[in-house]
Amino acid sequence: MEVTPAEKRRDHGRKGFPLLPALAGLAAVAAVLPLGGIVVAALSGEGADIAPRDVWRYAFASAGLSLLVGAITAVLGTAAAWLVVMYRFPGQRFFSWALALPLAAPAFALAYAYADLFDVAGPLRIWSRASLGFDLPLEMRSFPGAAFILSCAFYPYVFLAMRAAFLGQATSMLEAARVLGSTTAQALLRVALPLARPALAAGVALAMMETLADYGALQFLSVQTLTTGVIRAWSVYGSTAGAAQFALPLLGAAGLLLWLERMGRADRRFVSTASRWRTQPTAELHGPKATLAFAFCLILLVAGLLLPVGWLAWKSLGVSPEWPRLMQAGANTLALGIASALATVTLATALALGAQRMPLAARLASLGYATPGAAMAIGLAASASIVWSLFPAAASTFWAGVILLIYAYAARLMAAALEPVDAGLATVSPSVVWASRSLGRGEAATAWAVQLPIARGALFTAGLVVFIDVLKELPATLILRPFNFDTLAVLASNYALDERLPQAGWPSLLILAISVPAVIWLSGKVAASRPGQ
Amino acid sequence: MRARMMIAAGAVLALAACGEPADRPADAAADGNGVVNLYTARHYDSDLALYDQFTASTGIKINRIEGNADQLIARMTGEGAASPADVFVAADVGALWRAQQAGLLQAIESETLNSRIPENLRDPDGRWYGYMRRARVVAYDKEKVQPSEINTYEKIASPRFAGKLCVRSADSIYNLSLTGALIEAWGSQKASEWVKGVVANMARPPQGGDRDQIRAVGAGVCEIALTNSYYYIRMAHGEDAADREITQKVKLGFPSLDGQGAHVNISGGGVAANAPNRENAIKLLEFFASAAAQEHAARYNNEFPASSDVVAPPPVDIYAGFAAHPMAVLAFAARQPEAQSMMSAAGWK
Repeated sequence: MEVTPAEKRRDHGRKGFPLLPALAGLAAVAAVLPLGGIVVAALSGEGADIAPRDVWRYAFASAGLSLLVGAITAVLGTAAAWLVVMYRFPGQRFFSWALALPLAAPAFALAYAYADLFDVAGPLRIWSRASLGFDLPLEMRSFPGAAFILSCAFYPYVFLAMRAAFLGQATSMLEAARVLGSTTAQALLRVALPLARPALAAGVALAMMETLADYGALQFLSVQTLTTGVIRAWSVYGSTAGAAQFALPLLGAAGLLLWLERMGRADRRFVSTASRWRTQPTAELHGPKATLAFAFCLILLVAGLLLPVGWLAWKSLGVSPEWPRLMQAGANTLALGIASALATVTLATALALGAQRMPLAARLASLGYATPGAAMAIGLAASASIVWSLFPAAASTFWAGVILLIYAYAARLMAAALEPVDAGLATVSPSVVWASRSLGRGEAATAWAVQLPIARGALFTAGLVVFIDVLKELPATLILRPFNFDTLAVLASNYALDERLPQAGWPSLLILAISVPAVIWLSGKVAASRPGQ
Repeated sequence: MRARMMIAAGAVLALAACGEPADRPADAAADGNGVVNLYTARHYDSDLALYDQFTASTGIKINRIEGNADQLIARMTGEGAASPADVFVAADVGALWRAQQAGLLQAIESETLNSRIPENLRDPDGRWYGYMRRARVVAYDKEKVQPSEINTYEKIASPRFAGKLCVRSADSIYNLSLTGALIEAWGSQKASEWVKGVVANMARPPQGGDRDQIRAVGAGVCEIALTNSYYYIRMAHGEDAADREITQKVKLGFPSLDGQGAHVNISGGGVAANAPNRENAIKLLEFFASAAAQEHAARYNNEFPASSDVVAPPPVDIYAGFAAHPMAVLAFAARQPEAQSMMSAAGWK
């Protein structure tokens, strides 16, 4: 590896308190500790008495579901992004940001709504049996149903990544393709898609990791995967070791996906930047084609957000919510989201700044993101128990509980923050950093005075990503939160466990109300990455 | 600069929102009568009123963490000796047994509890006490099924109902407890036959909760469904007009196990192994076992009272006259791993 002047100076520089490396080390340890907890637990005892046949069934379900969701989100997200970037049609400007909105809806809320709407005793199928004379074959509590719901929930990951990629692509290459006689579709397949491969890999990897990590939605839909196997081993057989053994292949799969994502990104820097910032030429669609494009985007938005959320809202109107409880949970959720975003971005920034020296730490820290919530919870319980045994008071005091919870979020979401922070810091020219260092500023001071202000947009983006995820987080919150402290997701889950769906709708809708502005901002940020668009 | 201000503003916001949590344990501990820390898997809104009553009458403040039983058990295990938990409450004896197995509960002596709670609904060693009862019974389509066709558990698994039974997954602890009770009553051989019969009778793969099964009967997908009694009672007497209409067509039947009555499970609680407020914990359990508290829970959550001297309030009074099997709940709670393996092997998902 080439050694930059900055790195040489670090080696021979002034000896002060190494704030940055210390923070980076802390970040890495924080993220890896729960994973270590899983491995230790897996090795610690007898596994659960679960038949090998079942283990394979779970494994196939996990693999099949994540592959299916990966494929569906790849197609839907790419098609939608291509449409809103390359064409003009009615609603195109609206869809270009609105199609990211399903990101604001927790997957479990979509599952509640779809399962109820398409229940055999639900309004649609009762109507179809009465009016059409046959039952609609639309069972959401099934493998295909789960794939559909998770695809609706996770396609925005691909959409956002691909939209940014298409917007950022060198216009000249697409022009060259067109001049050489390609149709727009051929240009997409032969030029734009291969160029956007890193973004596609990143988006699909995110969607697949979210699928592997999902518990709330899949458990509600009775689709058994390795993640629900973790819970079964843990609760019914009381076997932490067995549960952790289920979690290990999931960790492996997560590692593989992260590796793929990194491999995909490695090529990014070779993209030509010549005449990059000319406005992307867009084609006007007319007639049936415009209608088709409009319909496609509308269906995506309706399926991903409007239909399920509308149905939840409709059901919720039938019951009166407990406002004081909801408001308190809302305030808790908001405060936790903000505090966790600050903590996670701080740690991720330290990790990104120190990544050159600790590349392995940065990769390991990213594993937390793909770890299923249920597995994470086991690892967290294991590592939290160390904290609790060292500091007994920590188990009962309010602030200790909150800090532990924020730590859990940071460990889980480090990778989500690391990606935009990394990208933001990469935009800071090394010469500016060297100038600052040669003028006598230390490493941390340079980061504070020079790098962070330049990358502040990226830091804010990272903060929002964490914020949105924390609003929806469930398993760690359930296990680690302090007394008398509920979040909106916890309330929703508790009501759903009681089979009180209309009541569960209210907290789910409040989560949306809080996260929609954040998603709109995020989505706008992507559009603004291309001046003149 | 702007970034710094943004961070500062965020921090202030976070502190402002976190700064005044509704009830901080530390504050509450300052009171004369202290606190009791409740880990509960019951999260019914009606229970909150019950907690307020307890605080009003004793001056003891309740700090609570709600969650599902397994998560609470995991948390208590993790907290170990440092756990602040005083009382653990679960809505199934299976969960209480899991907590007991994990060494999370301690034996207590309470004359009040021993006299109020029937012997078969509590742990012989005093580690947990069931103060509410629920029956796992059958919802049936009254136009297609005669009550006499579902008056035993054997009949549910008989060929009469091939392709006509709706039931939730084997992960449901209620199903594990029921199968455990059948193993206890019949032995593994016959219970295993029963489980196979149930799987053969399934109208569809297990899915959804108990209410979903009842609705499926209403929609004609199946003729009978296994359900906990209170789900049906809530639907029949709740706010939702569509649910009430379903229960015009779907009725609740109480099968009998060996002629001794329907399978009964409990909601109950125990004192945590390392309870820092042991005396208060016992007081809280005794309060839950009081006639007033049982009556309250029965009225609003539609379970049956555990004590025979508590008169069931409406709407549960209509159903409360059923015969309950006298089996000790501990007996079937301990059989859940065996039940899980049996159900998995038979293909009960």
